[in-house]
Amino acid sequence: MNSKPKNDQNFMALLLKGFFIIFCLLSLIFPIETSFAGVIKIGEIDPLSGRLAKNGIEIHQGIEVAVAEANAKGGIGGARLELVTRDDQSRPDVAISRAEELCTWEKVAALTGGYVDALVGPIAAVSQRCKTPYVASASLQKELAAHKNPYFFRVSRLQGFVEPLCRFMAERFKGQRLAILYAATPGSTELAQDLKRCLEKQDLAVRLMEKFRPGTPDFTPLIAKLAGMKIDVIVSGGFTPDHILFIRQLKENRMSPKAYIGPFGIAYESFISALGNDADYLYTTCAWNPGITMPGTEKASASFVSDFQKTFHHQPNTTNMHGYTSARAIIAAMQKVWDNRQTVNGENIRNALSKLDMALPMEHLSFDANGDPTHYHQVIVQIQKGKLVVIYPPDRASGHDIYPMPSWEQRN
Amino acid sequence: MWTTLFVSSLSLGSFYTLIALGFALIFGVTRNFNLAHGELVVLAGYVSYWLWKIWAFPFILTFPAAILITLLICLGLERLFAHLYEPQELNSIVLSFGIAVVIQNSMLFFFSGDYRLIRIPVLSRGFHILGVYISYTQTTLLGLSLIILLMLYVLMYRTYLGKAMRATIQDKDAAALAGINVAAMGTLAFCIGAVLIGIAGPLYGCIHYLYPSTGREATLVAVTITIFAGVGRLSGIILAGWILGLAESFTVVFFGVSWREMVSAVLLLALLSFRPHGILGHGER
Repeated sequence: MNSKPKNDQNFMALLLKGFFIIFCLLSLIFPIETSFAGVIKIGEIDPLSGRLAKNGIEIHQGIEVAVAEANAKGGIGGARLELVTRDDQSRPDVAISRAEELCTWEKVAALTGGYVDALVGPIAAVSQRCKTPYVASASLQKELAAHKNPYFFRVSRLQGFVEPLCRFMAERFKGQRLAILYAATPGSTELAQDLKRCLEKQDLAVRLMEKFRPGTPDFTPLIAKLAGMKIDVIVSGGFTPDHILFIRQLKENRMSPKAYIGPFGIAYESFISALGNDADYLYTTCAWNPGITMPGTEKASASFVSDFQKTFHHQPNTTNMHGYTSARAIIAAMQKVWDNRQTVNGENIRNALSKLDMALPMEHLSFDANGDPTHYHQVIVQIQKGKLVVIYPPDRASGHDIYPMPSWEQRN
Repeated sequence: MWTTLFVSSLSLGSFYTLIALGFALIFGVTRNFNLAHGELVVLAGYVSYWLWKIWAFPFILTFPAAILITLLICLGLERLFAHLYEPQELNSIVLSFGIAVVIQNSMLFFFSGDYRLIRIPVLSRGFHILGVYISYTQTTLLGLSLIILLMLYVLMYRTYLGKAMRATIQDKDAAALAGINVAAMGTLAFCIGAVLIGIAGPLYGCIHYLYPSTGREATLVAVTITIFAGVGRLSGIILAGWILGLAESFTVVFFGVSWREMVSAVLLLALLSFRPHGILGHGER
């Protein structure tokens, strides 16, 4: 009667030993990928499909170059960096679930990527919840940084646009009739409001402030309104497609303002090639471009351009550089943690990010207490014969602007 | 300013009409609510763009190619819709939504996420008449929409085929009892719809811009105009397009751009409440 249980016990012991041996063998063949052993995971969430796909893909490409560059140099303390990319489909709800998946399931050490505040905001909230640092690639809304989220950092900020634009416009367009049009997004709305306030302090009156939905299918009535008000200078806080349509319809309706300034979405090769000569004389802002880099970082900039071209076979743009910069910040922080012989975890990376101080092609990167970059500044450029010419600030200018821009009749 | 605004509103309305015609015809005859309509318009635009830009085709010659591609896809769609169970409208929404996502992502894969424009210099020129500048784009849109509507009118009201299609629109079962091949009418509606989409697509790339996800806007325009005109009432479509164009434009001038969509929505709601059969509708027929 007693022999049966004993046999069972032996069988169980044998089974457990068997499992243990198989487990050991499998561990030898497939080493377990933990974040802090042979592989360190960096999570990335970008809009790779949907209406923001173009920008999301560009951010992703920049991040990919930064990670490949770090791995080519031996990773972090011999550990290879693995980029775990997720598509938020340009939708905030999807961004939340992807961020949660990366934090809890993939157990990434840090998060990066993100384009526009509507998508960056939800990811930032998740990063705080799961105590994983997040360096956003493209975000402007002031409120996001005011949330006192110790895990949130970003490589761009609104004042980096407003300050140079306001100074330039105050010097250049004194006495002109100004209109500010802005897209119904948090970043664009804040830019318009801050710019208006700043311009009014400089005694420049803004005659019209008008909000529009990004992707508005027709600007003709607005153009008729602007013509009726005899507006000289138009500032439009729309994005690439809005500018394309606006310029097309300005030309079609033969309305020629003296200047058109689009802070977002113009300083791109694809924009210039889509509009051709019609893109000439437009003013825009630019943080970086293969020909426009922070003084002293020319070599690093050329190296990025070369690596990028080898991988993607075309010239990088400012959005690519935003992705690259955010990933470089995380990698530098991880390296710092490793150099200090600390565990590469969320808390230590966050601490290292808050003390980061490094020169990159786009900016001298360090973060303030809210995670905002302290030295992010755009330069003012004008498109001349299909090229971006830096015209402001004077210490970085490579040419002079052409003002007023010739009328459409003169250009044909 | 007001005359310019009036002309541009009519031109915008005509553009809306061109986008909506294919959708309205297919929905009217087959009761299939094709949510992939906008994506097909954009795809036709991409076909035209590629031929014009890469193969240096004259713009006008890209239309037959765009029509051919949309025709093939629409015939495939018609086969798919034919296998749907009742309720046809609801199931077609689900199916076409999936198809829209597939087309959108395929366009992103094949044509990239860059914004594409078909730039025809002659269309951006124009002429002055009574002190008002009118561009050739505006005259093209107005002229083309009127010509297409006239052709559709002749087809629908002056031919036996048109009578059969109208009978199918009014009552599918009664038309079948009268000996009309309802399935063939559906195929024909898809074919004519495809031709209309193939015409609207290249113009879309010429007037707007091409981007994989812009199809949603076009679908929304098509749905709004179709409801506005009344299902199956092709004659009301241009009127609906013009009214919507004028309402949107004058709203922008008087109240601001942000009110534009609100006015369209209010007009649509008012119409659904007070004239549920459309702007030219007279109740159940």
